[in-house]
Amino acid sequence: MTSTVERTRTATVRRRRLPSRRNRRERYVGYAFVLPTLVFFAAFVGWPLIHSIYLSFTSWTGFGTPTFTGLHNYSRLAGDAVFRKALLITVVFTAVTTVLQTILPMLIAILINAGWRRAGIVFRTILFIPGVVSFVVTGVLWQLIYDPNLGTLNRLLADIGLRSWQHQWLGDPALVVPAIIVVSLWQSLGLYMLIFFAGLQGIDPTLYEAALVDGANAWQRLRNVTVPMLRTVTGVVVALNLINGFKTFDIVYVMTRGGPNHASEVLGTYLYSLAFGSLSGSAPQIGYATAISIVIMALCMAAVIVQFAINRRATADVR
Amino acid sequence: MSGETTLQPLRTPDPLRPGAAAHRPHHDRRQTGFRSAGFVVLLVLAVVMVFPLLWMVLTSLRSSNTVFGGPFIPTQFTVSAYREAWHTIHFGSHFLNSLVITSLTVVGTLALATLSGYAFAMLRFPLRNTLYFVLLSTLMMPASALIIPLYLQLKSLNLLDTRQGLVLLYIGSAAPFAMFLMRAFFETLPMELVEAARVDGAGEFRVFWRVMMPLARPGIATVVIFQFLATWNEFLYANTVIQTTGRLPLQPMLFTLVGQYSTNWPALTAALTMSVLPVILVYVRMQRQFVAGMTLGAVKN
Repeated sequence: MTSTVERTRTATVRRRRLPSRRNRRERYVGYAFVLPTLVFFAAFVGWPLIHSIYLSFTSWTGFGTPTFTGLHNYSRLAGDAVFRKALLITVVFTAVTTVLQTILPMLIAILINAGWRRAGIVFRTILFIPGVVSFVVTGVLWQLIYDPNLGTLNRLLADIGLRSWQHQWLGDPALVVPAIIVVSLWQSLGLYMLIFFAGLQGIDPTLYEAALVDGANAWQRLRNVTVPMLRTVTGVVVALNLINGFKTFDIVYVMTRGGPNHASEVLGTYLYSLAFGSLSGSAPQIGYATAISIVIMALCMAAVIVQFAINRRATADVR
Repeated sequence: MSGETTLQPLRTPDPLRPGAAAHRPHHDRRQTGFRSAGFVVLLVLAVVMVFPLLWMVLTSLRSSNTVFGGPFIPTQFTVSAYREAWHTIHFGSHFLNSLVITSLTVVGTLALATLSGYAFAMLRFPLRNTLYFVLLSTLMMPASALIIPLYLQLKSLNLLDTRQGLVLLYIGSAAPFAMFLMRAFFETLPMELVEAARVDGAGEFRVFWRVMMPLARPGIATVVIFQFLATWNEFLYANTVIQTTGRLPLQPMLFTLVGQYSTNWPALTAALTMSVLPVILVYVRMQRQFVAGMTLGAVKN
């Protein structure tokens, strides 16, 4: 089958210059191996994606045929007070969580990395546990904690003599978003901490030795070595936070369903209530809701582009 | 999508092993002070992080008449709430639903991902890069943004309100990312092994199955663990696709309890505890793969 000459040649050379029977076989096998994934992908991602772009240009209640209405849904969004509110809340929620869930995990990771072998592993394990708990369990659990009459938080405040600090945490329009941000922080801290930790492990130790030789103190080493070397990882964490913020749904839906009176309405919950009609029992507005999903996708895409830009600059700066 | 950055975590050292490359700070006296202060900070933080879960378990062990009031750590424990959750909520059958749905999804995703990941990493065929890019380009697509067309898709396939439909949907949406993980893993294996096996006369499938798959075990473990967690915890699709109460997996089932059982906190927290237990056990037992899967998976979720 294979001549001695052929055997001694490298794979790439043979592949480029001598299309053989084996080569053709490799091609068919390649397609055969990829085909199942492509079929599933086409059925449950590709086609739905194209379908939703089309639907966003139509008006449809789910029955009969969709009516093509062009850009009507999008112009309607601009004048929709609830949508504008949901957009604002989504952006604020995303901005605040991104800042908190980047700075705090970074500090914690640096702190853990600064010492103790065994204790460090224990801390990492514990801090990450909320990250494996589902959004539903998290949401229900914190709903009980925030319960105005019987919840642990208000009881705790009463016990330490801060009865005046008690609130209807999820019922107060001014407090509901901060209350949800706390829950998000509780759940996501560990994950982002781990990503930073992986980044810290990748820093070349000779950089610290060089800094020590130059007489840099701990703060200077942190400022001039650790933080700059974490730039790429920071870019990833920021992008993840942005994407997760824009697409927020589960935690808000479980805890408040966007209430009270849209005070915690995010794009995800608004789109869901429009499409699956849990708000007022009105007819589902499939086309209009789909337009909101396109907005969410656009925001997430923008986050990816931001990450590319940050990453590019970070790599350029380090070099 | 974000090529270099997403690939990176695979090559960075294991976050759970402060290994060779770890920075070992030189200790001076001032730093010892820093370190003990840091230790206290971390200790407080760990307590705060664990508190809600601890509270959940403690509440589930109270009897319904002592749940409000009384000391934080109850003087008497009872498992009656677990018995109640098991019987009246039919916890067992929803647990089984979750288990079956999750297992089928993991197996299906793994089958697709190992085949296609291997092909994209090791085989040369026309349009290879185009197809790979198409699969990857949708990784950032948020689940909530696709829920409407996916719902319609299942409806048109007559699979709405079926567990099979949910499994197919899960496999379809998870396959590209799992493929990406497997491809990255296969790329770390030497191409020479494939060549050598071919020279020895092994067919393409045999090379894949007998030579490469055994070597891919760590990568497979990562995909399995990550997919298990993601599917077990998934809520949005499950809640939308399944309507018949008896077919609901755990997460949407727990969600429906909020209204019905909002006065029976022990039963509610008992159900929550039982649903979290498997995940935490798997996490503590298989931390390394878990963390690898999560840090990589974070790119998608």
